[in-house]
This record gives sequence, structure tokens and C-alpha cells, in this order.
Amino acid sequence: MNGIQVDINGLKRGEVNLGTSIMAVTFKDGVILGADSRTTTGAYIANRVTDKLTRVHEKIWCCRSGSAADTQAVADIVQYYLDLYTTQFGEPSTKAAASIFKSLCYENKDNLTAGIIVAGYDDKNKGEVYSIPLGGSIHKQPYAIAGSGSTFIYGYCDKNFKDNMAKDEAIDFIKHSLSQAIKWDGSSGGVIRMVVLTAEGAERLIFYPDDYEQL
Amino acid sequence: MAGLSFENYQRNQFLSSRTNGTPKATSTGTTIVGVKFNGGVVIAADTRSTQGPIVANKNCAKLHRMAPRIWCAGAGTAADTEEVTKLVGSNLELHSLYAGRAPRVVSALQMLKQHLFKYQGHVGAYLIVAGVDPTGAHLFSIHAHGSTDVGFYQSLGSGSLAAMAVLEANWKPELTKEEAMTLAADAIEAGIWNDLGSGSNVDLCVMEVGKDAAYLRNHRTPNVREPKQQSYKFARGTTGILSQRVLDVCQVEEQVVDVEA
Amino acid sequence: MSDPSSINGGICVAMTGKDCVAIACDLRLGSQSLGVSNKFEKIFPFGHVFLGLTGLATDVLTLSEVFRYKTNLYKLREDRYIEPQTFTQLVSSTLYEKRFGPYFTGPIVAGINSKTGKPYIAGFDLIGCIDEAKDFVVSGTASEQLFGMCESLYEPNQESEDLFETISQALLNSADRDALSGWGAVVYIIKKNEVIKRYLKTRQD
Repeated sequence: MNGIQVDINGLKRGEVNLGTSIMAVTFKDGVILGADSRTTTGAYIANRVTDKLTRVHEKIWCCRSGSAADTQAVADIVQYYLDLYTTQFGEPSTKAAASIFKSLCYENKDNLTAGIIVAGYDDKNKGEVYSIPLGGSIHKQPYAIAGSGSTFIYGYCDKNFKDNMAKDEAIDFIKHSLSQAIKWDGSSGGVIRMVVLTAEGAERLIFYPDDYEQL
Repeated sequence: MAGLSFENYQRNQFLSSRTNGTPKATSTGTTIVGVKFNGGVVIAADTRSTQGPIVANKNCAKLHRMAPRIWCAGAGTAADTEEVTKLVGSNLELHSLYAGRAPRVVSALQMLKQHLFKYQGHVGAYLIVAGVDPTGAHLFSIHAHGSTDVGFYQSLGSGSLAAMAVLEANWKPELTKEEAMTLAADAIEAGIWNDLGSGSNVDLCVMEVGKDAAYLRNHRTPNVREPKQQSYKFARGTTGILSQRVLDVCQVEEQVVDVEA
Repeated sequence: MSDPSSINGGICVAMTGKDCVAIACDLRLGSQSLGVSNKFEKIFPFGHVFLGLTGLATDVLTLSEVFRYKTNLYKLREDRYIEPQTFTQLVSSTLYEKRFGPYFTGPIVAGINSKTGKPYIAGFDLIGCIDEAKDFVVSGTASEQLFGMCESLYEPNQESEDLFETISQALLNSADRDALSGWGAVVYIIKKNEVIKRYLKTRQD
């Protein structure tokens, strides 16, 4: 490590990898998170129905990519902090949650392989998306994509994303995007999972290969 | 585990720099599986342990009890699966004594994953955790680096691919207890026959909601050794002896006696 | 060939019989191919429990003294000798304490439980994984040869004198096919109330 070029070393030998396509999109009523469901150890699919959309608070969720162990550990710690925060100060904002994620990812950047998207709904700021890539920086975005499969859909997402989409429109956008990511990325696959975060709470959706493959 | 000592670490680094490699620890090679069914969960394991290409033990036990109704199948470094399971098992008992409640599977899961994550994969334990508690039946798997998975069926170890093939082919929703036991044992057998690191017998543990766990040691024994048709017994006196000594094994009793001056 | 556990050479084996156990080792201590001593015994008695230690000689000696210390304290606290089963757990936890800087030894335990009268043997890897066998356990530089010999010669429920022949022949013939083992051998035949120690006639090359 020389200070300028950070050595983001690969996974430790035999480590479980979330070779992943994940995204989160703000829309009219809130925010929607989406992810594939494949985890791999080398060429073996260790889990084909993984849930990469993880709850850290009632209406603040995250998409995990990178090392399964690292991202689970970070998400567990954030969940704990937010629980504590809630008992002391009440409902946390999405920004506060994302900030905790960022601190953990930044302070421990040398030991973590974690690319996380934090998305949440709070009554003041409505739907928000924060992307926290490998080095531990934080970026507020209208939508975010990450993981190995995301490289294939930068163009598609840029062309097709619209502000203030309707719920069905946003779901379709995610479904189409992840469908392409899964198609072209070998380490993404399985089902598409989504979580819709609005004032009403969290709603889970699942789409099987038959639903998304021949869109 | 606060008591791990690194006293010999530097010496061993020096030693391994002067020699070719260090001795290998016993690995469980292993096929282990877990299957959920209506009202419970079953876990199973083969019984071969290996040191490199040598079979160290033909009938070892890879199913560990962490609590009366929470059991754990272990693959990877044999000593690590044994120790980590023992450690978390006793902390679980303390925890349930403190809380006055039966221990939960998620507690075991969280304690195991946090311990393994702390050691960054150096503690080489790959575990399938299963059990029943007041919240129902549960099945999880944990990798050495501390990541966990949830599912209706799980397989781990060198024979996990063979076992998973059987699970993927034959698993269906709403299994009965007997169906799940058969499926789990079949999956282990796939490992026993098709994976070189796995062999010998099938151990099983069935955990049903509201019932005591049933540990079925050597549930299937498809590799019974053919009895020897003849004997290699040597005639007494075959081996030459230089000298012999009968050791004193009676316990010495001491008595203090007053001696008159 | 020259990892730490095979610098000094040496082997150990234990077997169960009918109301008896046997444990045996060779006597060689070497430095690679150079023979250094033919009086290096690798079996250490702690009360009625016997511990065989092969591997790196410095660790064999260190561990034998660690266990002498620990079993003496045990005797002081409990006013009785340690049982084989208890001692096995002690060995396991002592070795695992050094999980990330291990002693390069392969210990084996043999003894008869003084309460139940049942024979007991166990083996370990270098970080304390217990291998509880009911027939035989082996360790050392000729462990592969020993596995082969024991697997073919062993039969259950032998009288102590027959067990002596079996374990001796297993040890001797294994050592003869290992350049790092041999140079004499010791066998302990352990019964509930009697222990016989025998030095064997062996090749000296």
C-alpha cells in the first residue's frame, strides 16, 4: 500500500464470495432494493437462494456484495448500533445508518472486502440510496448499482432510469436491469429478490428465472 | 478461547523456514448435511477422519452436541470443529442459565459466526448448525470465515457436492421425519461412495419440536469389515526380549508413626 | 522428509486386549540421518496412565514435563491418580491451547480405568484432536507402516501375552521399514494390577 493506490486484495483463500448483481432505486413513494441470489466458493455455487437484502432497521435495508462473512459482520454491527440508537433517540435517518456503514468500512478498509448499498425510507427525506464501495467512501445517488454483474448494466441503467417513477415502473426497471446482469455475469444468478420500502413499511418480492429470463 | 498461547509461534516460523513445510492437522474430509422436515430438522455425517491420504479414524463422531436440542455437524480441521463447538456449547449453557430459557439456535449461530469471524478463517471450522427451540426448528450453515446461510437443506465438506446432488434431486417441500432421515442418509452415502475424503458409516441426529433430540450413532453401516478368515496370531515367545521388569503399581500408603525417643 | 516432526524420528503404538492394554515405542533419537541416542524412551507413565510422545524431541521432553507438572498438581488436588479418560482431555486442551503455535508431537494415551477396569487408548494430532479408537492407535515417522501392520495383525480380546507378541511384531516390522525409527524398543503390558516393561531384541542398523 502506498497511500495513493490502495491494495484491495482479493478474497482470502476459500472465502465465500457474493459474486453479485445488486442495485437500489429511489422512486415516487420510496426506494426499492434488488439483488440476485447466488453465492460462490470458487466455481461452486454454495447457495443459490441467498438473501443479499439485509434488514438493519425497519425501513433501512442494505444490499451486500463482496465477502459474505465481512458484509454479514458489518451488517450485524450496524443493526446493533441502530437498535441502540432507536432506544436513545428514536427512528434513525437513512443517512445516519449509511454513515455507520461508512465508518466501519472506511476504518477497516485494509481488512474488509465489502461493497454495500444502503437504502432506506424515512418520513423527512423519503427514499434515499447511499452507495459505499470498497474503499469506504460514501455517495448519495438517485439509484445505485454494484457487484460484479453491475458492470454489464451501467449503460442500460443510465439510459432507462427516470426520477420519480411509479412503483410498477421501478420494479420493471430493476427486473430488466438485473435480468441482464445475471445473463452476462457468471457469478450472478438464481432468483431476483426485491424489497420495497415506503411509508407503509417493507414489502418483499421474488422473481423466478421464468419471470425474468425472457423479458 | 481467551487463553490461546502464541508462545511457540516464532520458533515454529523459524523451524518451518528451515524445513519443508509443517505437519498437517487431522482434517475431517467429510460429508455433512442437514435437512428440515415438518416439525423438526435432521443432520447427518459420515465417520471418516483423515491426515493427508491416510485414514486416521474409521469411525469418528462428527456430530457435536451444543445444547440438549441443538446439534452441530462439523467439517474442516477436526480439532477446530471440536473446540469451537465445545466453547460455544458451554457459553450457550451459561447463557440459558442466566436467561432462564432454553437456548436458541440463532444464539448458537451468532456466537459461532462472531467467533469464527474474529479468527478470520484461521479457525478452520465449517459447520451445519441445527436444532429446535421455543421458536421452532432451524437449520443453518457456517463457513470458517464467519459467513452463514439459511435453507431447508444444507451440505458442507469435501463430499458436499456429491451430497448436494442427491439433495437437489430428491428434496421436496413438506417432508416427513422418515423421508428427511432417508434423504439425509442417502446424501451422506453419496459422499461416502463418491468422495475420497469421506467414508465408513452414517451418523444421524433427529431433532423434533417439543421432543428430546435422538442421536443415532452409526445409523447406517454400509462398510462393515469382513471378519478375518484366518489369524495372524504369533506363538508366544516369538519376540526376542532383552530384559523385563515388573513395575510397581500398588498405591503406596503413607502413615505417620510416633517414634518414642 | 524433514518437516519438524520427522527430524528426530521415532514411533509409538498402543493396542487394547482382554482386560489389558499395551503401549510400545522405539528407542532411537536422531538428527536427520545421524543416529544420536539409542536410549530415548518415548513413553512416560503418569500413575497408571501411559503417554507415548513422538515427533520433535524437544517438544517430546517439554510436553512430558508439562504433563508431569500437571498430573502432580492433579494428584495433589484430588488425592488420586488421573484416569486415562481425564488425562486424554487434559492432553487435548493442553495441545489446543497452542493452536496457532503447536508442539510438533503426536501423543497417544493408554491405560486402564481404575474405577471401571476397562482398557482405554486414544491418539491425537498435533493440535489436540482426540482419536478415540477401540482397537489401536499409532503415531510417529512410521505411522503409515504401523497402520498397515496393526490393521492386519490386530485382533480383539487377546490375552496380555498374545497382545505383547502382536504389538511387538507390529512395532518391530514397521520400524524395520523406516530409516528414522528403530535402535531398540520398549513395550509396556498394562493390566489392572500389574505392569510389565520389556526391552525387545531389535536390529541395530
